[in-house]
Amino acid sequence: MLKYILKRVGLALLTLFVIVLLLFILVRIMPGNPFPSERMNDQQIAMKRAEMGLDDPMFVQFGRYLYKLLIHGDFGNGTSLYYGAPIGSVMTTCIKNSFRIGGMAVLLGSFVGLLLGICAALNRGKFLDGFCTVFSILGVCVPSYVFLIFLQYNLASQTKLLPYFFDEARFMQSSVIPVISMSLFTMSTIARFTRNEMVDVIDSDYVHLAEAKGMYGSRLITKHVLRNALIPIVTVLAPLIVDLLTGALVVEKIYGINGIGKLMVDSIAGEGVDYNYVLALGILYSSLYIGIMMVVDILYGVLDPRIRVSAKGGDR
Amino acid sequence: MRKLLAMVVALVMLCSVTSFAAGEETYLGVMLLTNVMSLDTHLATDGESFEVIADCIDGLTQMDAEGAAIPALAESWDISEDGTVYTFHLRDAVWSNGTPVTAADFVFAWRRIVTLNGEYAYMFDTSVGCVKNADSILYDGADPATLGVTAIDDKTLQVELEVPVSFFPSLMYFPTFYPINEAFYTSLEEGSYGTSPETFLSNGAFVLEEYNPGTASLKVKKNDLYYAADSIKLAGIRYQVVGSSDNALTAYKTGALDVVSVSGSQVAAVKKDAELSASLKVTGAGYLWYLSFSQTEKNAQGGMLANANLRLAISNAIDREALVEDYVLDGSLDTYTAVPPQFAASATTGEDFSADQDRFADYCGYDPDKALEYFEAACEELGVTTFTFTMIYGSNEGDEVAKVAQVIKAQIEEVLPGVTINLQSMLKAERLDKMQNDNYDIALTRWGPDYADPMTYLGMWITNNANNYGFWSNAEYDQLIRDCTTGAYITDYDARWEALLAAETLVMQEAVIAPLYTKASANLIAAGVTGIEFHPVALNRVYKNAEIK
Repeated sequence: MLKYILKRVGLALLTLFVIVLLLFILVRIMPGNPFPSERMNDQQIAMKRAEMGLDDPMFVQFGRYLYKLLIHGDFGNGTSLYYGAPIGSVMTTCIKNSFRIGGMAVLLGSFVGLLLGICAALNRGKFLDGFCTVFSILGVCVPSYVFLIFLQYNLASQTKLLPYFFDEARFMQSSVIPVISMSLFTMSTIARFTRNEMVDVIDSDYVHLAEAKGMYGSRLITKHVLRNALIPIVTVLAPLIVDLLTGALVVEKIYGINGIGKLMVDSIAGEGVDYNYVLALGILYSSLYIGIMMVVDILYGVLDPRIRVSAKGGDR
Repeated sequence: MRKLLAMVVALVMLCSVTSFAAGEETYLGVMLLTNVMSLDTHLATDGESFEVIADCIDGLTQMDAEGAAIPALAESWDISEDGTVYTFHLRDAVWSNGTPVTAADFVFAWRRIVTLNGEYAYMFDTSVGCVKNADSILYDGADPATLGVTAIDDKTLQVELEVPVSFFPSLMYFPTFYPINEAFYTSLEEGSYGTSPETFLSNGAFVLEEYNPGTASLKVKKNDLYYAADSIKLAGIRYQVVGSSDNALTAYKTGALDVVSVSGSQVAAVKKDAELSASLKVTGAGYLWYLSFSQTEKNAQGGMLANANLRLAISNAIDREALVEDYVLDGSLDTYTAVPPQFAASATTGEDFSADQDRFADYCGYDPDKALEYFEAACEELGVTTFTFTMIYGSNEGDEVAKVAQVIKAQIEEVLPGVTINLQSMLKAERLDKMQNDNYDIALTRWGPDYADPMTYLGMWITNNANNYGFWSNAEYDQLIRDCTTGAYITDYDARWEALLAAETLVMQEAVIAPLYTKASANLIAAGVTGIEFHPVALNRVYKNAEIK
């Protein structure tokens, strides 16, 4: 098991390095100007470029960037975005908001989704099953910002129960609308997968055998059915988690949440292309994705020992 | 299963904690179009940042409702006979930490901006403010301590200029010239000034209450230590960045915001609604949208656009009136002068520099016959009858820009046979990059005035100016502008005014640019809210006299 985990971690680190390198090169060759000033003359812009070391050869810049990042954990300063503040401090606020809201949406979405899926599978062909199907289709088809506007209109505008825009000072109250609207996609996807996987597993020979041997009820569901149904669900859930944690862009924009999805767009489509923000956010996105996929890989091993064994076999 | 159910119910309940708190009733809710980029006066470059900074910090002067400079921190000022030395007498005012505002705060701030040499440092050089030695500090690396600003004593600030600048007091209300308290600034960690209420000091009408960089909402509250605190009626302002204009309109209708800007397409709908149209206020934003033509050989089929007749033909093929009335829709003004109307008035006659929009009727206006005449002359001179140009425009520069580009393309192609305009949409940063590197044929671009003098526009077309993206060069024009900034006309206000009009004539005669329209700003202001002042220059919105009744 340890060797399996170490191999996965090593692969993840290598992937991350390649991504950072590619991102670094791509950001520097993409069109746009890191100092999109209409008021500075060439001499002033040249001074700014020199200050940021943008005239050095690319590999020197990359080495310096990596050194600062790895040794000091410093993402540098923005070039065109939020001049006054170092990237770290801006990102911290955005990450905090996106992660808290995304995290709550993941929890709500996967719990309710699992619950709905299980109930539907156990009541196959009955009302609850039909309800789950309709709910899943709706949740997957209707974009989260439509739910957001619906909730914003009804809960914040008509009844004034909740804030109309996100307000950091009233975090919990202003999280309700975005959390519910962001969690619906996850909820529906998980419900659908759980239901389908459980139905497959319930029909399988080994469950029939277990039943024949006298196992039934919650013990059968948790020990045999759910455990085997979980593997595909974990695979589906992983990218959903990354998406939710990194902020639903449109939701953040409409509800005025100062999160990382919004920051990413600002850093590319703002006044200028902010090299350092694009890079820092790219690294954040990819490390999250790789990290979660790595956890999923390891979880596979825990959930299904056959995967661990086959990985081991591949080593020889 | 029961445990699971219980957990879910608990989670839902946790998420559903609601509040009936209505928030600060008397705070004015104001929409911002984009994020506040920086509250550091020397790093900020956008209107939103300048607005919030000006809420919290006063300069030597401030704007009255008409945009004229009136005393703020400077109670009065004397001007030397030759017009090159200003002595400002400061009033008794304090920063929000209780320390007095002194002349040294200005000296520190001004030296800092010429040291940082950022985007707005140019306002100190001889193209605008003409502060003594600013050029040599900014462009030749001289010691910032040699800048012509001296604290004679705590309450007396002396500013030396290279040459007289008639509009110098009106520059003083621009945030770039605001003071910073040195002791406070140096006590902070590097790079943290202006990044939170704790690292920002006010001396103005409001103090920062809630803010962090990148935030979509921020608050300022009334500053009880402000020297004119008695005249400030608002308890505070709650700013909210709203990404979509539809959302802003809904927020306004439901009372979540009191002041929102509406897009051109919404203005028509708003006008149909009696209640909403009563709250609509359209003001000039001062931005002039225009076409820039690259005149170098590298572009436009080997420099075809260097031909003045061809540029005049294009300019006369555009129906600006139809453009603003049918497509821009927000009350923007069709413009036929290189300096837009309604922002620069003569100090002696009070007349708007561009009041007469028919002055250049021979060179700029919608006249298909004249356009064809110019076009035929151009074809003859160039020996070519078909032209294909690419027009670039920004995809993130406002709702109407793509529409405007399409309409202009259609209008030009309809009037001028043989001209094909290909449109290319890109982010603003890329458009600027292409223009700065002379890699375009025609660009749809804009310029907003930094100060209330025609020079903010006319200064751009001199040879080698960084904003002269067409690379037009005219010795007579250069001389006229030089005379107006540092030469013959600097002491004779009326002669200077006439010289600027003559300079503008040169630009229009050759269609160096094709002016299109002066952008308006359409706002909805909630009933009961009065006293917000809108300006096309420097600070777009000022709340010192605002009130919620």
